[in-house]
Amino acid sequence: MNARAKLLDWARTRPGESVKAAQERRLSKAWETPKGWRYWSAVNNTEVGLWYTICAFVFFLFAGVLALIMRAQLAVPDNDLVTADQYNQIFTLHGSVMMFLFGVPSFEAFSILVLPQMLGARDLPFPRLSAFGFWCFLIGGVFVCGSLFFGIAPKGGWFMYPPLTTEYQDGYGADIWLLGLSFIEIASIAAAVELIVGALKTRPPGMRINLMPLYAWYVLVVAGMILFAFPPLIAGDLLFEMQRAFDWPFFDPDRGGDPLLWQHLFWIFGHPEVYIIFLPAIALVATMIPTFAGRPLVGYSWVVLAAVGTGFISFGLWVHHMYATGLPNVSLGFFSAASVSVAIPTGVQIFCFIATMLVGRATTNVPLLYVSGAFAVFVLGGLTGVMVALVPFDLQVHDTYFIVAHLHYVLVGGVVFPILGAIHYFFPLVNGKSLSPRLGTIAFWLAFVGFNLAFWPMHISGLRGMPRRVFTYEAGMGLELLNMISTIGAFTLAAGLAVFLWDVVRPKSRQPLSPRNPWNAGTIEWAAKIPPEPWGARTIPAVSSRYPLWDQENFLDDYDHGRFYLPDAEEVKRETIITTVIDAVPIQCLRVPGPTWLTLIAAAGAGGLFVLATFKLYVLALLCGAIGFATILIWLWTGTALEPEKEEKDIGLGVTVPLYASGPASVGWWAMFITMIGDATAFAGLVFGYYFFWTVHPQFPPAGADGPGTFWPLVSLGLLALAWAATLAARGLIRREHRGGGIAALALGALSTIAGVAALAAGPWLTGMDPTVHAYEATVWVLVLWTGIHGAIGLVMQLYCIARAAAGRLTARRDIDIANVALYWHFMLATIAVTVATIAGFPLLS
Amino acid sequence: MDERSDPIRNEDAPDELQARRETMFMIPAAPAIWAAHFLASYVTAAIWCAKIAGRDGSLEGARWLLAGYTGVALVAIAMIGVRGFRHHSYGDATAPHDFDTAADRHRFLGFSTFLLAALSFVAVIFVAMVVVFTETCR
Amino acid sequence: MASQTEDSIATLLGETSVLVPAGRSAERIADLSWWLFGSATLIWFVVLGLSVYAAYVRPGAHDVARVRLMIVGGGAVLPTILLGGVLAYSLWLMPQVKPPIPEGAVEIEVEGLRWWWRVRYASEEGGATEVANELALPVGRPAVLRLTSPDVIHSFWVPALAGKTDMIPGRETIIVLEPTRTGVFRGACAEYCGTSHALMNFAVLVLEPDAYEGWLARQGAPAQEPEGPLEARGAAVFREYGCGACHAIRGTQANGVVGPDLTHVGSRRTLGAGALPNTPEDYVDWIARTHEVKPDANMPPFGMLPDDDLAALAAYLDGLT
Repeated sequence: MNARAKLLDWARTRPGESVKAAQERRLSKAWETPKGWRYWSAVNNTEVGLWYTICAFVFFLFAGVLALIMRAQLAVPDNDLVTADQYNQIFTLHGSVMMFLFGVPSFEAFSILVLPQMLGARDLPFPRLSAFGFWCFLIGGVFVCGSLFFGIAPKGGWFMYPPLTTEYQDGYGADIWLLGLSFIEIASIAAAVELIVGALKTRPPGMRINLMPLYAWYVLVVAGMILFAFPPLIAGDLLFEMQRAFDWPFFDPDRGGDPLLWQHLFWIFGHPEVYIIFLPAIALVATMIPTFAGRPLVGYSWVVLAAVGTGFISFGLWVHHMYATGLPNVSLGFFSAASVSVAIPTGVQIFCFIATMLVGRATTNVPLLYVSGAFAVFVLGGLTGVMVALVPFDLQVHDTYFIVAHLHYVLVGGVVFPILGAIHYFFPLVNGKSLSPRLGTIAFWLAFVGFNLAFWPMHISGLRGMPRRVFTYEAGMGLELLNMISTIGAFTLAAGLAVFLWDVVRPKSRQPLSPRNPWNAGTIEWAAKIPPEPWGARTIPAVSSRYPLWDQENFLDDYDHGRFYLPDAEEVKRETIITTVIDAVPIQCLRVPGPTWLTLIAAAGAGGLFVLATFKLYVLALLCGAIGFATILIWLWTGTALEPEKEEKDIGLGVTVPLYASGPASVGWWAMFITMIGDATAFAGLVFGYYFFWTVHPQFPPAGADGPGTFWPLVSLGLLALAWAATLAARGLIRREHRGGGIAALALGALSTIAGVAALAAGPWLTGMDPTVHAYEATVWVLVLWTGIHGAIGLVMQLYCIARAAAGRLTARRDIDIANVALYWHFMLATIAVTVATIAGFPLLS
Repeated sequence: MDERSDPIRNEDAPDELQARRETMFMIPAAPAIWAAHFLASYVTAAIWCAKIAGRDGSLEGARWLLAGYTGVALVAIAMIGVRGFRHHSYGDATAPHDFDTAADRHRFLGFSTFLLAALSFVAVIFVAMVVVFTETCR
Repeated sequence: MASQTEDSIATLLGETSVLVPAGRSAERIADLSWWLFGSATLIWFVVLGLSVYAAYVRPGAHDVARVRLMIVGGGAVLPTILLGGVLAYSLWLMPQVKPPIPEGAVEIEVEGLRWWWRVRYASEEGGATEVANELALPVGRPAVLRLTSPDVIHSFWVPALAGKTDMIPGRETIIVLEPTRTGVFRGACAEYCGTSHALMNFAVLVLEPDAYEGWLARQGAPAQEPEGPLEARGAAVFREYGCGACHAIRGTQANGVVGPDLTHVGSRRTLGAGALPNTPEDYVDWIARTHEVKPDANMPPFGMLPDDDLAALAAYLDGLT
């Protein structure tokens, strides 16, 4: 028996009730949810996660109503319920909203809500970042959806292919899509960073990597995918908006651009996106199945394999949306091969779930019904997925209703049904009441039958030659009956969802509370009291099993009496434990910040920047951006790298850990590192653009084009390398308590940053490169712009550190600011090196 | 007492494992090689067809290059897989590797590495099949 | 709009099923499709049967070791073999579905525009015969279609003959068609290309070689002179309202290149790229109410024309067979 077990035994002999009450009082005080109108300043994951989830579902219902309008239009041939223009806006928004405002956010929302509970943590490491992300999401989402009511919604399809959207659609639609959704993508990346750090660093002590709940594995994989998938789209959005707003011809073939560049960047995002949406739902299934079976999941490692494997391979599928673009057969073949291999891990997951049911003693209930329905639908979608992975078959069904059927079988079967089941399953954790099994069953059968009626006939419509995205079709093609059935099915599905919605919102005040752990699950989130407390975990448990509630003796009693870690909030501060990545050894007690309005103001400022820029009100937009930027600085200054009142804290069970950490031991360093990986990926997307143009043009840079030369780019490289070295030197000096030296080094760094950025712009400026002339000039300028903006951010960081050091908040022992800034500058150095090698070096070779 | 129900069982870890600072890098190694192979194949073929052979040209030279990539990738993945399998069979425990011990964590990481290597191996072969069936840049 | 009579637009545009092929490429794909549908049905029933059995019929009665074997066998090994097989089959099909450019093929240029199709047959003398929204192919002989677009991305798709190929501004893509039986086959734009994407269809006439040569000769000939006074009046209206600025009628002064060539418009199966059948009333509909028939079409509506002029114009155009 080890020391921890002995201490736990000793703790069990102590009188409990009075201590427990006092602890709970302090915890309540620390984690109190703000009341009245201040409620909206909350940042705790239980609040933000809930708002986020509800909003995602409101957007889901909105997009669902749009789908019903489309089905009504297509119910009969030659219908004129809506005009062609309205129909095109509606289908564009349906796809965009489902993908960007429901698919990805619902995963992030739900994970923000339940991941900490599953890990027995009190909150995610950056609650204010979650709140900021939520407000961005809300503002961007309302902006994009609202455009429909003014008849100016985007109408280029959710894929927005140029040149249709760059040159043939006037009005604000495409800009609303680009800027509104870019804004949301940034929020999505923020949430992804938060979730990765959460899964890696806030696991309870003892929860080694081999004991992590499968849900957390999926969170890790999916958030990682977001980090690599969204940035190329952001890069694409940047190019796109530069073309729309300033006529930089990235996609204009007359001036050396190429519409296919957008397709590459879009689908490098767009295909992983499908798995980003699908894997979390499978994670929910992997969470629920062991509960239904009453035993651990069979094939845990296999499911980890499947999640990680799918995550990787899904990045090799993007061209399977471009099979018809006339690329060489050999290129298509590679993507076909990857598309086929991604089916292997998917099959493994399904068989692991079936296997678990085969060996467990299944109890039948409503969530299981939804999961079974999901299987029936998803397996069919997966099988048609293998079909469309094959180039010959796809050349026929691509862009037809067969694909509409396929993708809805995957996304409704693989995502919506599991989510509905999960809502039914997790609902007691939200407000202590259960959903009705009777209504749940009715809703399921309506939705299931309706779904299949709606979408199965579309396979045949597609094979009979019905293209996608048509606002009408004529009689006599054999499509009338199929479409009528689809419409009837769609409304039946909607009726099922309406019943489900009623079950969720119906008043439940007279309904008794659900029992604690109503499904007899084994994972930690079910240790929560019913109704749940604002502090989340009563105590952060010591974990030694994948299913602590089943396997660890006396777990709930120990939990309720606070016999594990951090049962108290002695200083009435919000705290959670940070542990090591692999073995979950506690290394820090993290103080997390409480309610604030700063996040809302910052999001409103950033939102104003994007919304006003859409309408070309650049001055007001910059003003809003400045407000947002200033708010973020205040937030950083007052809310991060807080000075603890003591160095260490006893967190219970004989463990004492520091209250302050910097460098790789701190969550901030990880967040910076992960963010910069995403940032570097976006940069890679821009660099890809440059070399892509090289492959499509016989000569690139084009003959006679003035490049930026080599002199100024090299000067810039030298200056920014100096800025990097100065920042590193500052870190060393500050750590050796040379405050003055550190400030001087940072000042030198700041000056050479300014000079370096100026020198970088001088290259193309002095040779008179005009970005509107040719895609070459535009691409060089966009690389310069990107690097310049990053230099400016690096400058702000250097100045921030000078201010912090001058204010005495950045010292040898409190060095997290400079540690993170130095990390940023490593990436900055790589960025300038690649930029200079590309714009100045590559022309020498070709 | 049943082994599984001991709340904080933490004995069998041999010192060498307890002390070892293991990382997760072995898990993504094999799929990363798949990705590198995939990307190299795609880029090679794209540049070959765009810059060297022309739109209807022969793929011959690129096919040999790609065969070479495939050989290297398969050997590397196999080595990772073997190493993973050795970690998996550390000591005499069998799956599901779900004890709260350094040894089981070690076995789990090994087994996951092994499974991912197997998947990556198959995926590389699938990609390589393309050049067997494709002879031109059409 | 079209009533469902014998000559509904659907009938005029012809067959449109992927699974009733009339071309080499489509035939190979249809074979593959039937294999896929059959095996998918089988796999679906097995997997679903297994999961219903596991969840509802006999849960809990099975040995873990054996079930693990099922994961390895059913979840990993078997799918890998099946997927490898189907991938090999489809890769082997590729050169047949997207074949290299054959010798002695019919050469046709097709341009996709918002929202119609410009088709040019190169003639041996060096010129080209231009038609619109319709093309003819000889049965049993390959045809190479060079696809381009001057505006947005379109996609050329004749389900009965082959899969689709995109038409991308700044690029030329190629599709090889080899019809195996005669008939009329519907073509459509499959890539969303703006407001009237749904109304961008065409007919492919697959003819016996002799009939094909006759068709080509007729299309290459200059336009017929107006037959009667009404038609002559129509020709005058055509001139007076400047229709020739956008449309060409070979043999007259009308030589516009913006819109479709109308030299033999009366011979075509439909009007407005499958928006209307081709009767004199349809010409009136098209000319006077263009944007009701086809929203956002580039042609301005000529609703201000007196009814007499419209009728005459319709008669003239209908007579251009």
